[in-house]
Amino acid sequence: MSGYILELQGITKIFPGVKALNNVRFQLKPGEIHALMGENGAGKSTFIKVITGVHKAEEGKIYLEGKEVDFKGPKEAQAAGIAAIYQHVTSYPDLTVTENIFMGHELKKNGILQWKSMNRDARKLLEQLDADFSETDEMGTLSVAQQQMVEIAKALSTNARIIIMDEPTAALTKNESEKLYTITEKLRDEGNSIIFISHRFEDMYRLASKVTVFRDSQYIGSYDVDSITESDLIKAMVGREITELFPKAKLKIGEELLKVKGLTRTGYFKDISFHVRKGEIIGLTGLVGAGRTETVETIFGITKKDSGEIYMEGNKVTIKEPSDAMELGIALLPEDRQKSGLILSWGLGRNVTLPTLGNYVSNGILDEKKERDASKKYLEEVDTKAVSIHDPASSLSGGNQQKVVVAKTLAQDLKVIIMDEPTKGVDVGAKAEIYAIMGQLAEKGFGVVLISSEMPEILGLCDRVYVMCNGRITGEFSAEEVTQERILELSMEKTKSSSTENKKGEVV
Amino acid sequence: MKKEALFKKMSGSQEIVLTLVLILLCVIIQIKSPSFLTMTSINDMLKNNAVIMLLALGMLCVLLVGGIDISVTSTSALSGMIVGLLLKYNIIENTLVLFLIAIGVGCICGVLIGVIISKGKVPPIIATMGFMYIYRGLAYVLSNNQWASAADLGNFKNFALGKFLGINNVILIAVISYIIFFVVMKWTAYGRKIYAVGSNSEAAAISGINAALIKLTVYTIMGGLCGLGGALAVSVYSSAQPNMMYGQEMNVIAACVIGGVSMNGGRGSVQGVLIGALMMAVINKALPLVGIDSIAQNTVQGAIIMVVIVLNVLMQRSTFKNSLKRREM
Amino acid sequence: MAGKSGRNISAEPQNSLKNTVFSWEGILVLIFIAVNVFCAFLSPNYKITNILREMPKYLAEIFIMFPMVYVLVMGDIDISVGSIVCLSATLACMASNAGVPLLVVLPLCLAIATICGLINGLILTKFQELPAMIVTLATQIVFRGIAEIALGSGGSISLSSTKDFKILAGKIGPVPYVFILVAIIAVVFALILARTSFGRKLYAIGSNSETARYSGIHVQKIRLIIYTLTGFMAGVCAVFLTSVLYGANTTTGSGFEMDVIAMAVFGGVSTAGGKGKMIGAVISAFIITCLRIGLGLINVNSQIILIILGALLIIAVLLPNIAALINNMKKMAAKRAA
Repeated sequence: MSGYILELQGITKIFPGVKALNNVRFQLKPGEIHALMGENGAGKSTFIKVITGVHKAEEGKIYLEGKEVDFKGPKEAQAAGIAAIYQHVTSYPDLTVTENIFMGHELKKNGILQWKSMNRDARKLLEQLDADFSETDEMGTLSVAQQQMVEIAKALSTNARIIIMDEPTAALTKNESEKLYTITEKLRDEGNSIIFISHRFEDMYRLASKVTVFRDSQYIGSYDVDSITESDLIKAMVGREITELFPKAKLKIGEELLKVKGLTRTGYFKDISFHVRKGEIIGLTGLVGAGRTETVETIFGITKKDSGEIYMEGNKVTIKEPSDAMELGIALLPEDRQKSGLILSWGLGRNVTLPTLGNYVSNGILDEKKERDASKKYLEEVDTKAVSIHDPASSLSGGNQQKVVVAKTLAQDLKVIIMDEPTKGVDVGAKAEIYAIMGQLAEKGFGVVLISSEMPEILGLCDRVYVMCNGRITGEFSAEEVTQERILELSMEKTKSSSTENKKGEVV
Repeated sequence: MKKEALFKKMSGSQEIVLTLVLILLCVIIQIKSPSFLTMTSINDMLKNNAVIMLLALGMLCVLLVGGIDISVTSTSALSGMIVGLLLKYNIIENTLVLFLIAIGVGCICGVLIGVIISKGKVPPIIATMGFMYIYRGLAYVLSNNQWASAADLGNFKNFALGKFLGINNVILIAVISYIIFFVVMKWTAYGRKIYAVGSNSEAAAISGINAALIKLTVYTIMGGLCGLGGALAVSVYSSAQPNMMYGQEMNVIAACVIGGVSMNGGRGSVQGVLIGALMMAVINKALPLVGIDSIAQNTVQGAIIMVVIVLNVLMQRSTFKNSLKRREM
Repeated sequence: MAGKSGRNISAEPQNSLKNTVFSWEGILVLIFIAVNVFCAFLSPNYKITNILREMPKYLAEIFIMFPMVYVLVMGDIDISVGSIVCLSATLACMASNAGVPLLVVLPLCLAIATICGLINGLILTKFQELPAMIVTLATQIVFRGIAEIALGSGGSISLSSTKDFKILAGKIGPVPYVFILVAIIAVVFALILARTSFGRKLYAIGSNSETARYSGIHVQKIRLIIYTLTGFMAGVCAVFLTSVLYGANTTTGSGFEMDVIAMAVFGGVSTAGGKGKMIGAVISAFIITCLRIGLGLINVNSQIILIILGALLIIAVLLPNIAALINNMKKMAAKRAA
């Protein structure tokens, strides 16, 4: 009836105590690439799970090619031609690529698996995607980008016509993202319809013709990518104008705090040297996999260095365990806050006081009142949206969880704070608040090391920027000289195979 | 993920290494004791280890789905005891029926364990620890402190001596079982699902695989094999006692560990288990030849398990280190 | 650095009388009373004097329960404890029979047990890739195996003179020494777990060991300490066990790991880590001990008692899972009705 291949109307999905989707709608045309954007917790992931049959909506209807459908489970949705590729690749590391592709719908004759045919079909799919690995490789030996390609092959093998991608470029390098863009466009040209969720505007501009925005579990609107401005899009996602994203204060820079010289860990990074001074925010940027996280984890004492030196306020120091680093005044906000930054089942208060338990001990016993008061203070300082310090950390949104981790760090006696991708998966509103906190930290005389892959952050916040590529520092810029192009250039590997020429004949 | 991945790539050749070690061991033993590789000697060794080898097949599947079962010998004892009592009081004397009953009892034991683990979400080590005592206790209670001796067993004990197509019955059953499992694990969807559940149970759920059902069936099969093993043990040793096979669950696990089955699930093969079980059998035979009393058998077994798993870790680390060196920075 | 919105977060404490009474620990107290009523009903011999007389036999293994609670809270497991008891008891008996005085035998026994625990800890912390279950399964075999070798073909050893060890089985009035010691140690272990930063760290490790590490907690060092402590307490158990049994054999201590894990789990400690209180485990230990004494007084077969314990272990872990399942089903039904 309508010209849409997929249409959802009035979808409401309720979990105990939470309305995850409130009367949302969505329309997808055949052969369209459609972006789905919104803050964390806006309902995008839940929505995808409703489409793929993982969740069943309490209200609303789904129409596939004009006909109403009611999926009883993911298998039915898959049979109807809908496939999803999630951010965290769910694959079988011990099994081969072929097995991963065909798991659940293997080719059989009289109950016996037909390995020859499956391998052959898998090979064909991989060739279609221009893959650089074989169908007999073990899944666990592949890189994240390669595994994602297998996921796409899997979707194709089920004859999916609607392909949904959840944050497809989050873990990819620039080159790998380019390859993904090419594959996605090819899929569209072959008649598939694609929905993708992303926090990156560049993904949207590059691929999508239409974008739909959700906010607070509600449908806000659908727009043509060509006609909406970025600030209007942000306003739709956030509900308010974000003007002063980055603090503008220019501060006095003091003496050297942390200095790293010739730091090396075989196979991860080599000869890393940088320093950060009081009141400075330095950026450590580069592509995913450049070795930034590994570097700071070694500085913080999580892993051991093979050679090199670390100095704190001019003195050479040895850091073997995180507690050594903390004693020196170095704190690390880890990249994965849920895995390494928080104990999700605990209340906020106890999360905040975990690194500093010694401060609340008298006569060997923990003074719980002192602890509660202290955690309240730190949580309020970063403006955490919570009712009580006993709220479980799992109940908070991504942005708020990150604030709790920040509060936890501030509770320590610090000189240098290292933040690893602090705004990853954080909505625009909370991002601004975190930037403000970083500015305040610099103002107070701390040294801040910011690891980030987001250009706007690096360009907007940092006094100096180091670029890493393939485990080495390839460049250092001051705030005045740094540009996006220069960073990009130094972030890329200088091998012939990875460079491509753009329209002007320049090597990109 | 990368670290584990490299290790796994390397352990595929573990089976080749193991086979070579096994052959080497046999050669050394043959030199020290020329009667080792005679038909009778091999026949005896296989017969005495057939039950363990059978149980190891079931343990393979249990380990593959990421579980463990330390109640296996208790289930065998219970089934064996029931067979013995049925014979002792002349209730049932048909050999085939007795085997079926034993397998049936084993399956019931296994189903119970499977339900507790998959539906009750009790950790396998805890569940099977509890059932180890429950089933063993039941064996004692049923027997009421009595044995079934050779005289009581009548014709049943002759089963272990009989042959079919020239091969000893007991060994034949083991061989057939290994062939069946080999085919199922490699060539049927069910077998691959076992690997899938062990490799990544979340992915399995998303693929629409009913992980709970797979686990339930795996423990049931384990139970059935235990029942079969219990009945066979009664025939082989011509007696049924409640303390049958006490402490031998370690032999079963050792056979799997040596055979390259991963304790984390998702990795392992029927051929690996075969080599591992044979290796254990050969080592046990070799011990007295090196002057180690059979009383030290358990200690040696435990030490071997420890050495194998530590060696695995060390090899994995060294392979990983080498791959790191190859990364050009 | 005050927040922009000036939001006020509540920092009121969470405890209340209602929470305490209706907690799992409160239910355990009720079960304890019920069990005692049941046992008194079973036999007129179930009175305080007899209970105290029978207790030492069962109390010895409770020493192992205290560190086992720590192990479980950390999310680990140790199934080699029974074998450590066997090995240290065996060697202690051999030493005593060889004329070594009690004052030397005792530290010797404790030292051997502690070394066993240390071995466990070292293997687990140096080879973190290995799961605790498998490692302690292997050491379980080895420790008991060494005892088997030491005991020789006889398989058992008796104290040639019980004079030394009898001292340990003494009493103050009607209360045996071991009871007093268990009580003191229970209080110490409970306080450490509930009120000190060390205890808090154990909970952190069990809930998310990676976050614990990133928060500056020496996860591996603490694991090493706890496993060594477990070995030490197994030695204490061996000492008091010998003072009651006056000997050791190849099956000494077998089943202890199941017993203490059952007590801990029934007491509310989760095998997944991060949850549970010592007080619950202690109450649960006394429930099980009284049950054993009560059943023993009416001469229930020891095998049946093992069956009951095995079932109890499984039920203890099963109950909270079933409760959650029923809860979910209720919610589903409510949704459908709405």
